[in-house]
Amino acid sequence: MIAQLKEHYQKSDNSILYLCVLYYIVMSFITPGFFSLGNNWNLLFNLMPLVIVSIGQTCVMLTGGIDLSITSTIALSSVVGASFMSSDSGLGFNPSVSTFIGIGVMLVVGAAIGLVNGVAVTKLGMPAFMVTLTTMMFFSGFAVWLTESQNIYNLPDSFLRISSMSMRDVPIPVVAALGVMLIAYFILNTTVIGEWIYAVGLNVKVARISGVNVDGTIISCYVFCGVCAALGAVLYTSRLETGSPIMGQNILLDVIGAVVIGGTSLFGGKGKVKWTLFGVLFISLLDNGLNLIGLSYFLIMIVKGLVILFAAILNVLKERPSLAS
Amino acid sequence: MLLELKEIKKSFGQVRVLKGVSFTLEAGKVLGLVGENGAGKSTLMNILGGIHKPSSGEVFLEGKAFAPQGPTVSLNSGIALIHQELNLFPNLTVFENLFVKNFPRKSVAGIKLIDRRAAIFRAKELLEQVGLDIEPDRIVESLSPAQRQLLEIAKALSSSPRIIIFDEPTTALTRHESRRLFSLINDLRSNGIGMIYISHNLEDVISLSDDIAVLRDGEFINGYTKGGGYSLGSIIRDMVGRDMDQFFPDRDNIPRTDHLLEVKNLGMAPIVNGVSFVAKKGEVLGFYGLVGAGRSEVARCIYGLDSFEYGEVLWNGMRVKTLNPAAWISRGVAFLTEDRREEGLLLDQSIEKNVALASLGSFASAFLRRIKRKDINSAAKKKAEATRVKCDSFDGQATSTLSGGNQQKIVLAKWLLTDPKLLILDEPTKGIDVGAKHDIYELVNELVGNGSSVLLISSELEELLGMCDRILVMNRGRISAEFAKDVFNREAILESALHVMEEAIGA
Amino acid sequence: MKVIQARSIRKVLDHSTLILFAAIVITFGFLSSQFFTFQNLSNILIQSSSLAIIATGMTFVLLTAGIDLSVGSTMFLAGVVSAKMVAWGSPLWLACVTVLLVGTLYGLVNAFFIYRFKIIPFIVTLATFYVGRGFGLFLSETRAMNLPEGFLKIGSVSILGIPFPVLVLGVVILSAHLALSKTQFGRQIYAVGNNAEKARKAGMPVDRILLSVYLICGFCAALGGLVAIAQLGAVSPTFGKQSEFMAIAAAILGGTSLFGGKGNVFPGTLIGAVTIQSIQNGLVIVNANPYLYPLITGAVIFLIVLIDSLRHMQEVKSRRLGASF
Repeated sequence: MIAQLKEHYQKSDNSILYLCVLYYIVMSFITPGFFSLGNNWNLLFNLMPLVIVSIGQTCVMLTGGIDLSITSTIALSSVVGASFMSSDSGLGFNPSVSTFIGIGVMLVVGAAIGLVNGVAVTKLGMPAFMVTLTTMMFFSGFAVWLTESQNIYNLPDSFLRISSMSMRDVPIPVVAALGVMLIAYFILNTTVIGEWIYAVGLNVKVARISGVNVDGTIISCYVFCGVCAALGAVLYTSRLETGSPIMGQNILLDVIGAVVIGGTSLFGGKGKVKWTLFGVLFISLLDNGLNLIGLSYFLIMIVKGLVILFAAILNVLKERPSLAS
Repeated sequence: MLLELKEIKKSFGQVRVLKGVSFTLEAGKVLGLVGENGAGKSTLMNILGGIHKPSSGEVFLEGKAFAPQGPTVSLNSGIALIHQELNLFPNLTVFENLFVKNFPRKSVAGIKLIDRRAAIFRAKELLEQVGLDIEPDRIVESLSPAQRQLLEIAKALSSSPRIIIFDEPTTALTRHESRRLFSLINDLRSNGIGMIYISHNLEDVISLSDDIAVLRDGEFINGYTKGGGYSLGSIIRDMVGRDMDQFFPDRDNIPRTDHLLEVKNLGMAPIVNGVSFVAKKGEVLGFYGLVGAGRSEVARCIYGLDSFEYGEVLWNGMRVKTLNPAAWISRGVAFLTEDRREEGLLLDQSIEKNVALASLGSFASAFLRRIKRKDINSAAKKKAEATRVKCDSFDGQATSTLSGGNQQKIVLAKWLLTDPKLLILDEPTKGIDVGAKHDIYELVNELVGNGSSVLLISSELEELLGMCDRILVMNRGRISAEFAKDVFNREAILESALHVMEEAIGA
Repeated sequence: MKVIQARSIRKVLDHSTLILFAAIVITFGFLSSQFFTFQNLSNILIQSSSLAIIATGMTFVLLTAGIDLSVGSTMFLAGVVSAKMVAWGSPLWLACVTVLLVGTLYGLVNAFFIYRFKIIPFIVTLATFYVGRGFGLFLSETRAMNLPEGFLKIGSVSILGIPFPVLVLGVVILSAHLALSKTQFGRQIYAVGNNAEKARKAGMPVDRILLSVYLICGFCAALGGLVAIAQLGAVSPTFGKQSEFMAIAAAILGGTSLFGGKGNVFPGTLIGAVTIQSIQNGLVIVNANPYLYPLITGAVIFLIVLIDSLRHMQEVKSRRLGASF
């Protein structure tokens, strides 16, 4: 019986989900306030932007790359979007028009940063993590310089309502996250470019010889990742009611952790939307639970670092079982 | 007896590479080892070098059983291997490469530092021995291929070996440099060192060797001793053999006269030097030549995998401007490359996904490029079945679990699914078993029977003779001869592939 | 024509270190008369000693085609541990020795995960980056820690007219230079970085070499941390942040390749570190907007990585043409 369960657990790609459920149940019993309506809402709202950003990261990692610049993408689109929308900046559009323009500008910022990353990786042959490390530094510096480290307030109500409004009783952030997941699922599983993404990640040479537009595929993934990060920025900015140049600074670890824990291969070519969703769920539950227990943020940081390391070990062992002995 | 091999057998998976080879080597003698590509020479040498272990059979070194556990053991026992692919570190200097595993050292204040002066002194000695006139502190990156080859030989000498094995040592050398090498070999011989000399250049082998052993298909075919009465012709006959004639399926279509692909003066120095040829519709055009003669590179340049310096490519009489795989696939040209594991297959993916990869575009909707999953899967499955691939499942089994022959069939199926007008095959039957070979030949014939053309690059002369309507021979980046089907002549083809053209020397 | 062009591009790329250094020094020399004073130049050297020491350790790792993102955290940990120990009344020398041990141990942890489980170096060191910083914050309770006078004295003392930090730097550079260029171990590092597989075939102790470079890197990070706090006199919670970028940038700027096997500590990494410090120093002297610093540094690092990648692309191209005949 136990052996059967164990085997099922090892084979199934829902294992992380089971772990989350187990964790949820245990924490509900031992932590006061964990199983409360307020905390569940809290969890859900923390989860949604993280899901969106992590899905973008998953696409990049499927091609065998990585995007460390998502934090600065979030910060820059937050402040650029906010300064377009804020009544302080005096652009003087009517609020709903400026909300539209603001969101549009934010997504464009995300796409532009993704484009820079993608072009540098493909056309200039630079290593992905180094490119995105420097663009992270540059664009977060850019966000700080633009605002001189000040937050931007007085955003239009129509923008702030995004995080509280509902469509047929479903909150907008949930709709957005579901939308991104569906789009990513659709692209990865039913379209030519989806097949190309996996092929590029598994073997670039084979892909190129087989007629795959390798550079185009990789660039689109970075652009998609940038747009996802910007969409995350929309939700964060609306929820915090400010445009902040240090927004998103701490989520890099969560995003990389979530994708790796979910099981997406660090070498590319293997990964699913579903896996990343479970990974995000796991890391959010962990974060939330440890917070409620009263651990300070730096202890949580240690735990998350260790979790990434552990997930990376599992990830490698799955691909090369010979290393286990 | 310095070295004795008894009934050495070696298989890789299902493929038997050596089927019981025996010979001996005496001190102070040179043994010439000849045979076509794939005859088993390199495997034999790797066994002596401790890189592979024989499946059965014994090796005796000075009368004692010898079974090296690794390259280091072999080297310490006095066997030095000079590989065709060089084991040098281009970012280090000449003398560092010579001694990187064991520098001469001196102690300075208790710390062992490299004794640079001693190292350079010894390096100079070694370089002089091989006739290499360069400063020992030059970076290897700046050396010419010939100089690197000689350095590799000097490195082998630095371990004071009793047996040296040379694998094609002269391919990168000019005639003058080769003669220096031969006089070095003669010096070593008089010092009592035994040598095995592997080369396709039969004139060299004959003039150097005391004994010659001919291998074919992993078997020892014939041995000659100096003064025992033999000729170039008899060796070539032994190398080629004649028992394969019935193996190739018949094909009765006749190539048309209109040009499908035309290449004019294509060049990428120093590998490809002005190649021009025409492939006609409904034709199987063969490319023969030694490894490194530039055959694969011509194909890779055309297909846009490597860049070239000059020349042009015409498709159906029109000059082609965009040379990349995607553009060629849409024109109807497919390219099965030599390295199927690195360039042919997504090893972790299923058969269906692999076969479908190059044809995704033609099975996708115009709007949003959605893949018609059912259509493509059944088409892929049909193509895979047509190649008679042996597998457990088309959609669940990773291609990494298939045998070499079956893997090659999957790559071929991928290209056949694109419905090619021209199929370029680079060593399509390398390292695969006889049955799979036959299946592949039949698929090629079927394709040509439907009016398509095939460019067949191969190191197996028999294969080309059996399959092609025309054979082009390449030698040092040029096309050195052309043979039509009715005048195919093994000896003449080999001759034009092996012959060192005097005008190419020093280029 | 094409050949000549390619050659001149190669020449510029090969000498990019000195060209960049000269360009930066000359620019600041023009912008401010204070830049070229003896006092300022010696200041630059003292200020760059910490960075140069850390970059020296990083050079060892980069030479094997690895990377260590955790050096900033190691520095921080070193600072916190030494401050704690001195506060508890331990003698200065014991604190320093302990700190160096901690740094080396941290390198050992990185090396263990990289070579036991074959996890990509940047993921391992990204995780230990967070773990180290978290642990340091935990020890320091996220407060800035002031150090006793003794520490500052070390930072400002001169021996034979040479400031102590510069002396330490000299010793580190000299021994690293000797180790890399005059010992068998050093030359084998280059061989491994060029092609680990070839090196293994040739019978070199590849694993031992890879292990030792991470130890050296950890040690240098701790030492660099000590040198820095001896000048600052305090350890703030952000101490050592982004030092890993600076160290990588200094090494690459000095001609060390991210792709392994190429580079040197002297003069390469030393010049690289001094160049980067000159930028910082020059920006202060010309009274640039402080918000511009990360922007400019980020852009410079991007440029440096770009140059390295272009150089690498050229090499791969020429190697392929040379080797196959």
